[in-house]
Amino acid sequence: MKSIGIEKKKARWGYVFVTPALLLFLIFSLYPMLNAFYNTFFNIKLLSLRPPKFVGLKNYSYMLSSSGFWNSMKATAIFSLGAFIPLSLFSLIFGLIITTRLRHQKTLQLLFYTPAVLSSVVAALIWMLIFDPRGIGNSVVNFFLRTPGVDHNWLTNTGMLRFSTVTIYLWKYIGYFTIIYVTGIAKVPTSILEAATIAGASAMQTIRLIILPLLRPTTMMVTIVTMLNSLKSFSTQYLFTQRGAPLEPIDVVTLNIYNTAMRDLKISHACVMSVLLFLVMMSLTLVRMKSSEKDVTVY
Amino acid sequence: MFLRNNTPLNRVTNYIINLFLVFILLAILMPIAFMLSASFMSSSEIFSMPYRWIPSRIYLENFYRAVAGNDQSFIFLRNVLNSVVVATTTATLSIMVSCLAGYGLSKFRFRGRNIIFLIIMGRMMIPFEAIMIPMYITAVKLGLQNTYAGLVLPFVLNTFGLFQMRQYLMTFPDDILDAGRIDGLGELGIFWRIVFKNSTPAIATAAILSFRGQWDNLLWPLLLAQKEKMKTIPTYIVKFTEEKYSDEGAMMAVAVLASLPIVVMFLSLSKYFLQGSGMYSAGKE
Repeated sequence: MKSIGIEKKKARWGYVFVTPALLLFLIFSLYPMLNAFYNTFFNIKLLSLRPPKFVGLKNYSYMLSSSGFWNSMKATAIFSLGAFIPLSLFSLIFGLIITTRLRHQKTLQLLFYTPAVLSSVVAALIWMLIFDPRGIGNSVVNFFLRTPGVDHNWLTNTGMLRFSTVTIYLWKYIGYFTIIYVTGIAKVPTSILEAATIAGASAMQTIRLIILPLLRPTTMMVTIVTMLNSLKSFSTQYLFTQRGAPLEPIDVVTLNIYNTAMRDLKISHACVMSVLLFLVMMSLTLVRMKSSEKDVTVY
Repeated sequence: MFLRNNTPLNRVTNYIINLFLVFILLAILMPIAFMLSASFMSSSEIFSMPYRWIPSRIYLENFYRAVAGNDQSFIFLRNVLNSVVVATTTATLSIMVSCLAGYGLSKFRFRGRNIIFLIIMGRMMIPFEAIMIPMYITAVKLGLQNTYAGLVLPFVLNTFGLFQMRQYLMTFPDDILDAGRIDGLGELGIFWRIVFKNSTPAIATAAILSFRGQWDNLLWPLLLAQKEKMKTIPTYIVKFTEEKYSDEGAMMAVAVLASLPIVVMFLSLSKYFLQGSGMYSAGKE
């Protein structure tokens, strides 16, 4: 009898310990989400006191047929792909290089990581000046291309503007993902590498036949995290448009949601986009969780 | 470690790789060096061609204008204070909540435990950006606009930190907890004196991630803090980018000032920073 009593008492403490987390979840996650979903079926005006009008699926059909929305999808897709292909490729290469360095390895890691420490707003500020028509972006490119005095329109031309935002993103996060690869490579068992050396494998063979296959989980994870993160990007695009850059090429979904809600005060439309963004991101995260479950240790 | 003892790379390849590495490092560090040198330059010198990396004279006026703002209100100081308060409070509260819930979920058996864990895991799938507007509406309804509570509370539940805490505490020996019970400690005493105080590495990493996240957060303060005196550093900086306001020297000075605290933190706690990023690759161990 006594032991059951203790168990019950302990169980009650379990509830006590999870209560704060649960409350925060209910107030700041579950309620807003359900409310957002509900909002998508109504015509909500943030400042109006009248009860909102039920419009059914009209918000969805409006959004799916609006060119602004599809332009955002396009801008986001271009940005995500443009960022994630070089990001995953180069972070792998840099990770491999760093692990082969005998000396200064820690210092190298720190130096690579520095841009990730700065806030994204600061990153945007710095590059804004580099990309200025009078800035060093132009002079560096003109030096290499031997085209003195040419303005490359980093912040005005559609293609260049997209390229600029991707460059900043790449610069900021390359070190972060390099470190992830360094960690991943460090986990490859030394015995396998020694066996490969004894068997006479060259460095390239070791990388191609042993390290890359064993890094599959890391690669998968980097891929999805980069995709997810670039879907969320906001600061650079927002600051650039504040500075006067054209909105259309870099009107990523997050920026569009922000502007629709805060500038145009169209809450329902913003909620529809939020729901759609949520679905995309959730499926990506699900894939990530599934893959990390499957691939934990396959050595 | 790989290729460490047995470097099959010959000298020439090694030399080329080193050269490449130096080039990449220069490219990565160039913008930071630019920020530093430009913060001490007059706006016209920033755009001198070719760029002179050493300022011709140390131009401290930039820092004055960065701090004073173009209306001489010195609201910057208040905004820095806001950032410090918001980031510290969020980090502190979020590790408390994560540690409590992680402990509850790993060491206690109670009805609904698995469901609660699943819900928390599910929350990890919901990125802030996808629910920011609904969250904003909720915060407005709760009257949290332009308040510290509004800036802090939505980020206190850090599901990733919670998950990590739970994984960490799963391996925490039960014997020590029972020893505490036998010695007459209450459950809260056990949590505080034994569990919390013995989880420093896990807590430090989670705290740094949370602090850094808030220091960097632009979107939420942009939505919630419309009053000048409630803004944080990222939202303060936005003013400097506006088209009509072109003071490049002050822009770089404010960038340097905003980066100082986090860079100092990084240099002294780099171990935890790097751990924080490595955590993603840790999988489920």
